[in-house]
Amino acid sequence: MRTAVEPWIEEPLLRFIDDARVRLAVLLESSGRVLAQHGFTRAIDVMSACALAAAINASAAEIGRQLDGTPFTTLHHPGQERQIFLGVLPTPRGAHVLLTVFDEATSIGLVRLYFAELTARVAAATPPAPVPTPAPGLVDFETDLNRNLAKLFGRI
Amino acid sequence: MKSPYSELLAVLSRHRGVIGSVVVSERDGIAVDSNAQIGVHAEAVAALAASLHRKARLACGAAGCGTVTFLRLDAERGGICAAGRDDLVLVTISEARANIGLLRVEMMRAAKALT
Repeated sequence: MRTAVEPWIEEPLLRFIDDARVRLAVLLESSGRVLAQHGFTRAIDVMSACALAAAINASAAEIGRQLDGTPFTTLHHPGQERQIFLGVLPTPRGAHVLLTVFDEATSIGLVRLYFAELTARVAAATPPAPVPTPAPGLVDFETDLNRNLAKLFGRI
Repeated sequence: MKSPYSELLAVLSRHRGVIGSVVVSERDGIAVDSNAQIGVHAEAVAALAASLHRKARLACGAAGCGTVTFLRLDAERGGICAAGRDDLVLVTISEARANIGLLRVEMMRAAKALT
């Protein structure tokens, strides 16, 4: 199973997973299109995680704008056994979002530390932006999403 | 803003060779308060040292040694010491010239005040 849709994402993400000892990770565009994943076994789970992460990110950003004038860029939710961390990675190709799930093998302090390193590595590794494209329509979005999921789960 | 640990950290940071001290939550790895010289990445050290302390505590528990009271890590140009109580860990970052014996006594005393 592949980890990333585009090869330049793979090295920084695998390093983050290795260093931070997280269980699940998914990197997506702010629109919800998946770019990379680790730990998921079913495409449908990745699709759901991306949709929810994009929605949470959009809501958190808007709440931040309303309260503070600037969008909130990270979110941490500790559960009983597992915790989620969601953070925005600014890149030359626009903002990407990392959603990660971790347990007691690591801590939010470590995840935040290695997330900062991941942000720097992804920004450095991102190739120059191609010709600007308009925001995806519903049909394009669905096509891109399915193509990326198919790539990640070895169907292409 | 002052925290209940500010004075304790200031005292530790005045020791010769100590370049930073942090109170960190062992479970979260998040610094509660710190007193560090410019250039010391206290938050990163806090997260990593808290993880180290947790693993040392688990290792000592598994080995039947009981509770970890003091952890010392020596490196080429200095070292890290940690003393914990409940979920809080007191961490100091020092240069090689620091008097570790004196620092240990002070840290053990300070750790008792962590609540």
